[in-house]
Amino acid sequence: MRDYWLSKLFFDLQNPAVAAEFRAAQEKVLDRYPVGPEVRRKVIERDVTYLAGRTNAYLLRYFFYTVGMKDAEFIRKLRGG
Amino acid sequence: MRSSSASCAVASFAGAFAASHGPLIVRDWDAIPGDEKTRLEKAFRELGRRVAAAKPDVLVAVSPDHWSNFFLDNYPAVCIGVGESNEGPPEPWMKAYPHRNLAGHAAFAMHVAEEALRQGFEPSLSHRLKLDHGTCIPLWRMELPQMPALVPMLVNSIEPPMPSLARCLEWGKLLRKAIESYPGELRVGILATGGLSHSIGEKTMGAIHEDFDRETIKRFSSSENSLLEYLGKELPSRGNGSEEVRNWLVAHGAAGGRGFELVDYLPVPAVIVGCGFASWRV
Repeated sequence: MRDYWLSKLFFDLQNPAVAAEFRAAQEKVLDRYPVGPEVRRKVIERDVTYLAGRTNAYLLRYFFYTVGMKDAEFIRKLRGG
Repeated sequence: MRSSSASCAVASFAGAFAASHGPLIVRDWDAIPGDEKTRLEKAFRELGRRVAAAKPDVLVAVSPDHWSNFFLDNYPAVCIGVGESNEGPPEPWMKAYPHRNLAGHAAFAMHVAEEALRQGFEPSLSHRLKLDHGTCIPLWRMELPQMPALVPMLVNSIEPPMPSLARCLEWGKLLRKAIESYPGELRVGILATGGLSHSIGEKTMGAIHEDFDRETIKRFSSSENSLLEYLGKELPSRGNGSEEVRNWLVAHGAAGGRGFELVDYLPVPAVIVGCGFASWRV
């Protein structure tokens, strides 16, 4: 399953300027993407497993890298830890 | 060998090569254990030496697009870069890569596109692409003394559904025909990047399937059917990054399926990739 707007957010966050803006004011950036309320909440909570089911695996990794999650923690969360 | 007659000269096939890539080969370079780093350096350089010795005027760089150019709005199965030039890698952690603008070869690339359409292949075309880490990490680490013109061929191995394995092999054969029908003295090589086994952003992330990698390497020296059958059966359970072996199939098809000389293979947990380096027998 692909959530288009969630994926678009992750895609756009590859742009360093958008990433910096997201790190400074994520709610403001999220307002530009019409994601559902639950998806929005899971982005804010950095819920790896929930988001993993809704986007491409590479985009997922980019997002968590952009927000500063180390690979070791990302992998642990992917596995449900 | 170059023809001495300019009037009937056609391009020649300079060779086919493959190398793995992965962001951590740059981002975490300093964290790679010494022995593995030394082998990686040596393998990239040896491949670079072989590419340079083949004297390609043009390299067809076969790689996936890691969401650098395409999105869900339109993600082509295959895209050929037909522009005069392309941009260097957009990833912030590739900022140190020295080439921000990479010359293309518009005439040859358009010839490939036209030959493809004539043969019933329908690639997407782009007059300007961003060549991301998939293409640029091998080029960087290979330390080529001179950068050939690059014709990017982006093959989707990132977002399902992907082109079939058999089609990728056929793409390679088509490339060879296109090379050998291009009017002009030009040496054209192929650099396939990606693979071997790795897993990104999924539950198995970090897994390297050395058994799969070694069997895949072996099957490249067997029949096409044996290779395709094995990959078709195994790929779905060997990590999403392993899908990039499609690019190796393009190189294999172009090289006439005679198998390759393995420059090196080593699983590198620090970069979470089974790293393979190959130059095809031609």
